[in-house]
Amino acid sequence: MECAFGITGKDYVLLCSDMAAGRSIIRMKSDENKIKALGPHLAMAYGGEPGDTNNFAEYVERNMRLYHIRNHYPLLPASASAWIRRTLAESIRSRNPYAVNLLLAGYDTTTSKPHLYWIDYLGTKAVVPYAAHGMGVYVSLSTMDKWWFNDMNKREGVEVLKKCIDEVQKRITVHFNFNCILIDKDGIHNINIDSQDPLAELESESKAASGDIVVDAPNSPLDVGVTA
Amino acid sequence: MALYHNQPMAHAQEPTAAPIEHRFNPYSDNGGSILAIAGTDFSVIAGDTRQSEGYNIQTRYARKVWQLTDKAVLATNGFAADGNNFVKRVKQRLEWYEHAHHKPMGLKSIARMIQTMLYGKRFFPYYVYNILGGIEEDGSGAVYSFDPVGSYEREACRAAGAAQSLIQPFLDNQIYFKNQQPEPGSQPFIPGNLPLATVLSLVVDSFTSATERHIEVGDGMEIYIVMARDRTTDDLLGEGKLQKGMEIEELGTLGEGQGERTFLVRQALKRD
Amino acid sequence: MENNGGSVVAMIGKDCVAIASDLRLGNQAVGIASNFDKVFPVNDKLYYGLPGLATDVYTLKEHLRFRVNMYRMKEEREITPKTFTHLVSSTLYEKRFGPFFIEPVVAGLPTPTELDPHPKPFISTMDTIGCVTTPKDFAVAGTAADKLYGVAEGLWEPDLEPEDLFETVSQTLLNAVDRDALSGWGAVVHIITHDKVITRTLRARMD
Repeated sequence: MECAFGITGKDYVLLCSDMAAGRSIIRMKSDENKIKALGPHLAMAYGGEPGDTNNFAEYVERNMRLYHIRNHYPLLPASASAWIRRTLAESIRSRNPYAVNLLLAGYDTTTSKPHLYWIDYLGTKAVVPYAAHGMGVYVSLSTMDKWWFNDMNKREGVEVLKKCIDEVQKRITVHFNFNCILIDKDGIHNINIDSQDPLAELESESKAASGDIVVDAPNSPLDVGVTA
Repeated sequence: MALYHNQPMAHAQEPTAAPIEHRFNPYSDNGGSILAIAGTDFSVIAGDTRQSEGYNIQTRYARKVWQLTDKAVLATNGFAADGNNFVKRVKQRLEWYEHAHHKPMGLKSIARMIQTMLYGKRFFPYYVYNILGGIEEDGSGAVYSFDPVGSYEREACRAAGAAQSLIQPFLDNQIYFKNQQPEPGSQPFIPGNLPLATVLSLVVDSFTSATERHIEVGDGMEIYIVMARDRTTDDLLGEGKLQKGMEIEELGTLGEGQGERTFLVRQALKRD
Repeated sequence: MENNGGSVVAMIGKDCVAIASDLRLGNQAVGIASNFDKVFPVNDKLYYGLPGLATDVYTLKEHLRFRVNMYRMKEEREITPKTFTHLVSSTLYEKRFGPFFIEPVVAGLPTPTELDPHPKPFISTMDTIGCVTTPKDFAVAGTAADKLYGVAEGLWEPDLEPEDLFETVSQTLLNAVDRDALSGWGAVVHIITHDKVITRTLRARMD
């Protein structure tokens, strides 16, 4: 009963997840944030077995943070995807595996390229331009197949994302609220996808103070000279 | 009680946890493979002759391909008992038709009749995949393929049975020219008008390939060739047209005969 | 195997070998990616394909990359196709009772040595626990294996030149995966010859 999408564009990547938490047919929460920032330009949308999800997400988050502290630079999306995949691949053959599926989105500041990874609880990793997990796959993948194209600008990307959400709300009987982020060269930005113009806030911000990180990494790097 | 090493009637004293159920399974799978290819004015229908059940070969010569009329040949594959019985009843219906109408049933009518007969047993089906080949009323070669409950279609070629998955993609490539493009400036490929010699060698290659890789296919091969009236038979009967080891016979007309000719080619399949 | 789908085929030609795979990665019936290559290079004379469970494709690929690099450093020479096959085989057998769900296919041209100045092109394949077979003609694996056997058996002939081998392996793969719901979504072919490797991505049905 969950639903997450990711879409890459020319110089950004969008990540979107539902906010429901509950058990079987009962929803206990409809404002649960299931997207976690893992670094200044890296975030993941996760879902799966409740309990495993948060535990695993926090485990990943702290390890990404540890890498950042030790090396004074964050793990790049490609390397982060490899580490997360390996963690899940080792977990699946362990005594109590994590049942967590995730979409990992990041912006590679060294090459200025967006990255999106589809990863499942087995440790399967796919490098994709757009992806979905959960119930959304049955309606949103075809929507993205139709409307996605190379090097979309932010407005075009948000349009595709809105089409996906519309499709989910039209075709899936379960009601979802969605939580979206956008990652670009300036970092992670929250997007209110329900608003008339989701990018208005973002654009006015970037005009006011370009280069500002809107959503910070969990704790900004400590500059205390810690070495590996 | 030490008199017996193991208590007599022990089974009668032990209460069973659950009643033992014996359920009769009315079906079996007898392996083998069939295939048919249509030409413009001929049709080739072939099958292997091995009949097996599991790893046991029941016989090395069992028929799967049957001449129905002067212009129709039916191949059956799946559960042999159902196949044989189905053919018997089809032939009976064809005979009744001839008595009633004083003419043999046409190919497309046979196809529709087969679908009716198969669907008639929708809830206790004949576990048989049928392929019907022959000459249509207009003199063109035709192939009809069926599923066990009567869903059917006219096609240029079809493989069925144990080696369907091996043969059908090969036929897609060689008969339907899938994944092939004609050279720039040359004629476009049209499925279903290959010369007889090409079709025959494709049939032989299909079965030798299947024999090589599938344990349920082998022993012998029977190829029926139905030719439209007034069609030359030189490409089949001419000197050196048949491959080594092939034996050919012409099957006489069943009715009054309208000029269609049916030939049966037999060949042994590789024995290792 | 049926979780992610995918197929690999390798063929021997005249002083050349070919190895090809489809590009699909699925999650059961849902297609996820059409860029999932299952064939990887060891060096410019040796490639291998890993069809099967996608998580194990990555794990095994990275493990073999590590083992081959260690071999290269210790031995100061490139690994031969035969030795590499045994490396893969023993890696798989280590997990005898909890196997990697992978059926590897190896294809390579052994480099001529003083002892063996004219080595034959080499292909091999294994089951999930590393039981090796070294065919003289072609090797297939993956969800379209039965279809690949049928088409390859019909199209392959001995001593094909590189370009003819390319056509044969491409037709075999494309026509086989077109009849398999879990394979397809594009294909990539590698032809390994003594002086170069030709890699081509094929236009295929995307359904």
